[in-house]
Amino acid sequence: MVLAYPSQRVAYPYFVVALLLFVLQVIVGIWLALSYAVTMPQGLVDILPFSTTRAFHTNLLVLWLLLGFMGSTYFMVPEESERDIFSPALAYLQLALLVATGVAALVGFVFGWTKGKPLLEIPFPLDYLVVVGALIFLFNVGMTMLRGKRWTVVQGSLFGGLVFLALMYLFNLPFYANLTIDWYYWWWVIHLWVEGAWELIAAALTAWILIKITNVPRELVEKWLYVELGLFLFTGIAGTGHHYYWLGAPKYWLWVGGIFSALEPLPILLMILDAWHYIRNRRDGFKGRLVFTLAVGMSILHFIGAGFWGFLHTLPQINYYTHGSQVTVAHGHIAFFGAYVLLNVMFFYYAIPKLKGLTEFDERRGTLAFWCMSIAMVLMTLAFSVAGVLQTYIERVMGLGYMTAQAQMRFWFAILVALGLILLAGVVLSVVDLLTLRPARAAKEMG
Amino acid sequence: MSWKTARWIFYLGTLISLVLFLALTIDTHRQIRALTHADRLSEQVVAGKKVWQKYNCNDCHTILGFGSYYGPDMTKAYWRRGAAGLKAVIPTPEQFTTWRKMPRLALMDQEINDLVAFLQWTSEIDTQDWPPQDQKFRPAAARAVALGTSPGALLFQEKGCFACHRMNETGGQLGPDLTHVGTRLDYQTIEKVLTDPRSVNAQATMPPTALSHEERGELSAFLAKMK
Repeated sequence: MVLAYPSQRVAYPYFVVALLLFVLQVIVGIWLALSYAVTMPQGLVDILPFSTTRAFHTNLLVLWLLLGFMGSTYFMVPEESERDIFSPALAYLQLALLVATGVAALVGFVFGWTKGKPLLEIPFPLDYLVVVGALIFLFNVGMTMLRGKRWTVVQGSLFGGLVFLALMYLFNLPFYANLTIDWYYWWWVIHLWVEGAWELIAAALTAWILIKITNVPRELVEKWLYVELGLFLFTGIAGTGHHYYWLGAPKYWLWVGGIFSALEPLPILLMILDAWHYIRNRRDGFKGRLVFTLAVGMSILHFIGAGFWGFLHTLPQINYYTHGSQVTVAHGHIAFFGAYVLLNVMFFYYAIPKLKGLTEFDERRGTLAFWCMSIAMVLMTLAFSVAGVLQTYIERVMGLGYMTAQAQMRFWFAILVALGLILLAGVVLSVVDLLTLRPARAAKEMG
Repeated sequence: MSWKTARWIFYLGTLISLVLFLALTIDTHRQIRALTHADRLSEQVVAGKKVWQKYNCNDCHTILGFGSYYGPDMTKAYWRRGAAGLKAVIPTPEQFTTWRKMPRLALMDQEINDLVAFLQWTSEIDTQDWPPQDQKFRPAAARAVALGTSPGALLFQEKGCFACHRMNETGGQLGPDLTHVGTRLDYQTIEKVLTDPRSVNAQATMPPTALSHEERGELSAFLAKMK
């Protein structure tokens, strides 16, 4: 028996749904790149416009990442609290509710049923069902922790992040008549998610995995977790200002946003150093290399994507020209991939073998998939960046027309279609691998 | 570093950032009415915003630079095309697009009017001169004050000179800034440039302008006075 607590099993269906949605997200992404590269016939655009498929791409991303976090939480909390999940039945109900809501939303998009706000398109009353799902989740996790045998900093960070996440979503619910105020609070959801709440969740899940696989003392990990969280929130909360430069808010946001967001790479750098230190000083116990590879790969790409690529265009002097261009797209892709996609994949590779009762598994496919995905994503980021620099220079510096710039960027979107296919190959390989993990010995016998 | 220090970093870091952020949020709310001309936020503008959301325009077009990047930014679309231009494009996009298509969205006339009102209101938000590419389309009315109302000044705006040239901090970046052109070139030279740009500078990329003899004289006189 590899599982410490039987109720950890509720995590598995969350993981399966998340992985399938991940594949779908990438397929839709390739379609989007294709829409930039070639001319879609008017008749097709009338039925299935870019806006609909883009809503698919982003909502699938958010949905699968959140389902991954939720599954990971259900897997982790019993071991931290040293008791079973408060109610496994509620956990299944919550999954069914969220998946049903998600499917209804996606089908609705095709028929033009939308709130019309990017990334938060899920319309009323489905958005309230999302809130209900989140409340069930928080209740279930909270009760488990409350009745648990111990309270840890890792748990606190995770639960804090989850409550923070749910609270911020509430700012998406009202209708704002003033466009500037609308976007002001849109960022309370989006920015304070990815540079606040999600970072707390990510830091907690990462710290927990590192404790498990390296056996370094918990006190050490939790101490540095405090420092990381402090730096994340210090730079992240006021750093929201880097979205307030040009939306009709007062000028001081140029200073506040510029200074705080320029410091945002620091906590991520600390995470890399941490992970590196723990892994080098690990005490024996955990078998297998792949989870280590993913932990290091994740922290490095998290830094490159969220830290470095974010820093490149966060200062107002640069952002004046790059704001709302493909430069943002480049940053968005590598940041989400490094910070949250690989986090989920790492957690899946730690948890799924245990859920399947494996102590060791054949890591070859998983390793290949990691490199395939990561290299494709790094190259995609470079292609988006070239397109972004072309757009910035031709449209915003030289002052030529929007479509003149787009014509010069077209080639890079053709490249992106090809790179997207490589990414898809890596994603499919890792999903198939995770769903059909084989014991290491069986693999050896099969050659 | 001790445990205690680590915990202090967490509490202080979070608290300082949070207090600053919330304080500035309150102040932003106090200033936003003026910065967005909220007094002009009429029922029709709000109706237009609902149209904007109903048709999910924002998942192809950015507005205030936010959204998707598949079509041009709409913050200052009203400057670029004016009410008449927008009303022409929205119902029949296929007549205005080439290799990248916009869906035909069957909007009702009322919806189009509301949407245009919304875009007009949006164009008046003080965005700290963002986006750079649309500053050259700043409404002529706002510029006339700065340039005066001489026939030459009006011609400068009507003939689209602002698309490439800057004057008093507005206009395009492609050609030279003309704010002080009168100190560099005299009336005769300017008139020669306007007749055939390459007669003065063989490298010039400026297209010859379609001006009558009289118009050319008025425009040259206006530019020669820009000192």
